Amino acid sequence: MKKRGLISVAAAAALAAASLVAIAPASNAAAKTITLAFQGPLTGEEASVGQDELAGMLYAVKLFNAKNKGKYVVKVVQADDQGDPAQSAKVAPGIASNKKIIGLVGAAYSGATIAALPYYKQTLLPMISPSATRVSITNPAAEGGAMGVPVFHRVPPTDKVQGPSLFKLATKGVSSPKVFVVDDQSAYGVGLVDYMKPSIPAGQSAGFDSVSDKTTDWSATISKIKTAAANVVIYTGYFPQAAPFFKQLRDSGYTGILAGGDGVLSPSFVTLAPASVLEGVRLTAGTVPLAEISAKLEADFKKQMGKASGVYAAESIDATNVFLSCVAKGVSTREAMLKCVKAYSGKSLTGSTIKFDAYGDVAGGVMNGFEVKGGVIKFTGPVK
Amino acid sequence: MIGNFLDQFWSLTFGGLSLGFIYILIALGYTMVYGVLRMINFANSEIFMVGTFATIIVVRDVFKFTQASEPATGFRLVLILATALIFSMLVSGVLSMLVEIVAYRRLRRMNSGVLAPLISAIGVSMVLAESVRILTDSRPVASPRAMEKKFIGQFFDAGIRIDNTIIVISALILFAALMTFVNRTRMGKAIRAVSMNPNAARLMGINIDGVVSATFLVGGLMTGAAGFFYVLKYENTASNIGFELGIAAFTAAILGGIGNIKGAFYGGLALGLLETYASFFLGTQWKAVTVFVVLVLILYTRPNGLFGEALTQTRA
Repeated sequence: MKKRGLISVAAAAALAAASLVAIAPASNAAAKTITLAFQGPLTGEEASVGQDELAGMLYAVKLFNAKNKGKYVVKVVQADDQGDPAQSAKVAPGIASNKKIIGLVGAAYSGATIAALPYYKQTLLPMISPSATRVSITNPAAEGGAMGVPVFHRVPPTDKVQGPSLFKLATKGVSSPKVFVVDDQSAYGVGLVDYMKPSIPAGQSAGFDSVSDKTTDWSATISKIKTAAANVVIYTGYFPQAAPFFKQLRDSGYTGILAGGDGVLSPSFVTLAPASVLEGVRLTAGTVPLAEISAKLEADFKKQMGKASGVYAAESIDATNVFLSCVAKGVSTREAMLKCVKAYSGKSLTGSTIKFDAYGDVAGGVMNGFEVKGGVIKFTGPVK
Repeated sequence: MIGNFLDQFWSLTFGGLSLGFIYILIALGYTMVYGVLRMINFANSEIFMVGTFATIIVVRDVFKFTQASEPATGFRLVLILATALIFSMLVSGVLSMLVEIVAYRRLRRMNSGVLAPLISAIGVSMVLAESVRILTDSRPVASPRAMEKKFIGQFFDAGIRIDNTIIVISALILFAALMTFVNRTRMGKAIRAVSMNPNAARLMGINIDGVVSATFLVGGLMTGAAGFFYVLKYENTASNIGFELGIAAFTAAILGGIGNIKGAFYGGLALGLLETYASFFLGTQWKAVTVFVVLVLILYTRPNGLFGEALTQTRA
């Protein structure tokens, strides 16, 4: 994989250079320049996740800059961690030591967040992640206490909430469920299964499988599912693998329920398999797609950013808006930003309250349910 | 476990066979070029990747299928599949020829040795993969379903699916056509001559550049066909699929004996089946480990692969 690493470094450098030029609007002598940063996978295998979140952030910044013309100019520095902890530890020191940066949206992934935390804690750089959902980052009961305190904050609820909710949603209305769970070997996928396990009643488990996220042929897993005579299959991974997996499973004659977590919830998911195959797929997420919040919002996003919004777009916009509201209050240092974020209380795009607790979590996170109907992901309300 | 395996044996075998035939066609791209130039064309994996996109372009953009479309039937289906197959083969074949002209030809004329073309190959591979990645926004791309995946028969407990059947039969036909080309035609003879002894071939008046171009074209055609079959079976692709499939096909070529056309055939089949069985027994996470353990064991006893090196040995 060395070859891809090399390209990515070059691409990242080019991207970073290009973005700095592209995003800065015509300079205005009176306007105050504020620099924020984004960290997530911008190149490599997971690039689409980071690019989607970055687009959400840039969208929020674009609206803010337009609204505050002459008063503030917000710039965004992009840090590409490829979703990889090792890469994250390489880019984090640079971001941490750049004092112009007073807030960071990210990191997108939990592993990368943990690798970057020591640098950001040392320099008190406030972080708000749109998608790092691993429980231990904000768990005071974890070894050594919550590692993210004081700089880490996040918008979405954690996997502790999602695991049991996903199981509940997947088995809803099934009289005698036999559940087969497949993870993608990522920290996210495995973690989600760990939090789901305690909520699986005795006799309802049909088995588990763990499959690399580079898998293209799923026939072995499918054979296991058939042998176990499962009638509910849950996949804890991301949409690029979920679509072909579900497709191959259906094509093999499986007629039971298919379900997945927020990694599967993406507008791209339904473009990756025939509508008839994905009909009825059940999904959970703390997020809501922009189009579900309002069609007008999605249309505007598409117009401004030149592409449809992705997963966690709403959370990225929410996270960015927390920083931006502080900027509008005149905040221009890391210390003031951290204080402002801690004291922040406001509404998210969906209308729920964003207010961080002492460990950086938003209280009362709710998992939402979704179902694919006629090739479209439909919001079915909170999972109860 | 064994009982479960026997229950699933035939359905695993059919899946493994059709995967194996896709490997065979890609492996041919590696093996043909190696036979003639003694060089590993690492760009072949990306030529395969481009072939998968060519198929999707035909289905999605030329025949206007969407994920909501009804699958085609009868003559229209045959027309769509044939167009997609031929288009993918041509795109990959021509691309493969261009890669040779741009990246390898001059190095070969300057007698650069083996390492410079190797780096050049990796470079071309990166350029192709990254260009497609930028064009597709790093997203996976799906092919709408043009053909309904019907079961057309039953073999013991396993259903026989139409796409797997088409892959196995068409790949066999393509393979037979390639064997005939190499063994029975003038150009095939020239390819074998250059493979045996390039200097003697040149002295006999064979146009080496022409032979090399033809080899890349034929290798590319086969690899492009693999791209079509891959999309037929899995219905999606991404800019980064070349790497994984390329490594697998390259392994298949080594397993059978690189440079040997028959070797690619048996190597591909063995690898497809081995991967599928190993995934079932040990879990998918052990697939690659099992494959390479077997490869090393085979190379211990037969260092040149199952069928030995060189294109020349394909003479019946």
